Amino acid sequence: MKPTRALFIVLGALILTWVSQAAVGYWQVGRLEPVLNEESNLTEPPVPSGLAHTGARVFAAEGCLECHSLSVRGPSSSADLTRGWGVRRTVPRDYLFREPAMTGFSRIGPDLSNIGARLPDTEKLMQHLYDPRLLKKSSTCPPHPWLFRKVPAGPRTEPGALKVSPDGWHQLVPAYQAKCLVAYLQSLTVNYALPEAPLK
Amino acid sequence: MNRNEFPPGSAAALVLILGSLIWSLLGAGLQLLATSQLLVPLLDRLIAAPWFSYGRLVPASQFLLGFGWLGSGLLGVLLILAPRFSGIAFRYGRLLFGGALLWQLSIFGGLTQILLEGPSGLVGLPQPHFVSLLLVLSFLVLGTGLTRGLGRTWKSGPVLPRLYLLLGLLAFPLGLGTAEVLLRGTSAPGSVQIITQVLWHSFYQHLWLAPLGLVLIFQLLPTLTGRAVNSLHLGLLAWVATCLLGGWLGTVRVSDGPIPSWMQSAGVIAAMLMGVVALGNGLLIQNLTEGRWEDSRRNVALRFIAVGAWSYASAYLLLAFLALPWFRPVLAFTVGWSAFFEIFTYLFLGSVLAGSIYALLPVSRNFGWPSSSALTWHFWGTTLGSGTTASCLLLAGAFQGLALNDPGVPISTLASYLRPFLFVAVFSQAVWLFGQIVFSAVLLAGLLRLFPAAAPMAVFRDPLVIRPAAVDPLHG
Ligand code: HEC
Repeated sequence: MKPTRALFIVLGALILTWVSQAAVGYWQVGRLEPVLNEESNLTEPPVPSGLAHTGARVFAAEGCLECHSLSVRGPSSSADLTRGWGVRRTVPRDYLFREPAMTGFSRIGPDLSNIGARLPDTEKLMQHLYDPRLLKKSSTCPPHPWLFRKVPAGPRTEPGALKVSPDGWHQLVPAYQAKCLVAYLQSLTVNYALPEAPLK
Repeated sequence: MNRNEFPPGSAAALVLILGSLIWSLLGAGLQLLATSQLLVPLLDRLIAAPWFSYGRLVPASQFLLGFGWLGSGLLGVLLILAPRFSGIAFRYGRLLFGGALLWQLSIFGGLTQILLEGPSGLVGLPQPHFVSLLLVLSFLVLGTGLTRGLGRTWKSGPVLPRLYLLLGLLAFPLGLGTAEVLLRGTSAPGSVQIITQVLWHSFYQHLWLAPLGLVLIFQLLPTLTGRAVNSLHLGLLAWVATCLLGGWLGTVRVSDGPIPSWMQSAGVIAAMLMGVVALGNGLLIQNLTEGRWEDSRRNVALRFIAVGAWSYASAYLLLAFLALPWFRPVLAFTVGWSAFFEIFTYLFLGSVLAGSIYALLPVSRNFGWPSSSALTWHFWGTTLGSGTTASCLLLAGAFQGLALNDPGVPISTLASYLRPFLFVAVFSQAVWLFGQIVFSAVLLAGLLRLFPAAAPMAVFRDPLVIRPAAVDPLHG
């Protein structure tokens, strides 16, 4: 084989691969628009708040993705729906405003695509982040105490402090990252209908 | 010792190989820690620090093993090998040296950033933007050096290694550059970002790392066994197929996921065809290694490369198996996929790299290996260690997948399904680490000439080596 022909084949193959996935992908799902929900007059998927947007980066940086996926499969190939991880499968349009867009490839823990609907309570999510065993004795989800400040308990309760105390002497005040992360978790919902993914 | 005795580029190769060793120990060490945490969740309660959390250890170790150990090491041995393709020596040794240092610096930067600031959450790109830029820059220097070795006309020498080298050299900057632009340079819609991440991951594994491993297999196996590849046509066909299919293999992992379904089907077909390609290359490998078991017992380089070559075929056969419609939905999201990465990373590329270092480093640095029993320890430690880990993970993945797809099994009991397998995996990862520590010790002892050479095994004796290795059992 001549070097020039080899070069031609390699470049051709690489470009073909890129074009047929990235470019065709862009053409196919990159132009999707959010849809208007006639009842609530809101667009779906919802645009995440600034806090949730930062929270996505905290979620990534804490490596939650190594154990939790963000993608619900349909009923034909999995038990995801029966497990209650979502009310329908996730589709490309759900990820429109996700930055960074994450799906995850590992399930040591449950899928979190719809956690905002399953566990919307701020206090509970905060407690779970500080130490999952506060809510469930046997949980193997790792604790993230570094997302909280430990402040000596005084007469005054710090705004936003958790209702539980690690030792009775301290109160736990969520750091900015914890607030963002919880806002992100609350923004994770796939409980709305889309034209390509109706709610059954 | 007069430094001019060494051919130009050999200092760069040394930096890349020594760096690679350090990253391999660190990367496998972090992986061992991470697996131990899955096994004993108490561990991360004892040391509650963000850099010690499972969520950071895993991406950090993957980064170290891929870019640090394999990336650095493969580039290092190729720097020794490439001038021998064409007989053209490197000219800008200093520049290559700078490139090699820059690569190590990028790995260090990436590691500290991932551990201290956290990974980016992007598949295959846990490192920050600036680290990718440094890696591309360093690769452009090293890769331009390597292209010199390809030579202008390919009249002499084997053609397959050159073809795979060409593929690896082009795929890395093209893939990483465009992925960075689409994922972090401009803000592509989330739906496109997922496709791009998966695409980059395919480039990274199947069009960059795997081809670099194949360069060494198809160059060194014939050299070590004294045979030629018996069907060049089959080899060429496999090469063209690898170029065309490699970029599609990542989508197999997205089972019923949020990318267009035709892409997922294309990935499945590509993985099955790639299994056939691996069988084709397996035939060539079979012909090269057949009846050479006696030699491979004496020659540790041949032994490692043969194991690596067979593991290449096994890794892609396993991938084809993971793509089968019965297994794909079960094994998606499980550690069954980690079994594939274990075979791909440790048994295929890791063994090929170790064998190549055994074969090539003595030529470049003019020394012999000090202890043959240590080489045996290295071989069995790493091969048995990673082989056992891979089998455990595959079994664990099957149980995990069946449990995940059975809504009657609560998630909290999943851990108890995995525990026995993880227990063995932790042990076997430690055995691998032991083998690699032995290797590092032998390599350092050889380089520093602490002991007389007991097991020399230089492969090439050619004009590029200014002073040929003292004992050359194959050609001497
Ligand atoms: C080592 C793997 C691991 C990591 C890393 C991890 N988790 Fe978990 N997580 C689990 C497991 C396992 C469970 C299920 C525990 C149980 O129910 O027994 C869980 C449960 C949860 C739940 C409750 C889900 C439900 O369905 O009730 C939430 C919320 C959660 N994790 C959030 C997070 C966040 C946020 C992060 C990152 C900061 C994270 N997890 C990191 C393993 C992990």
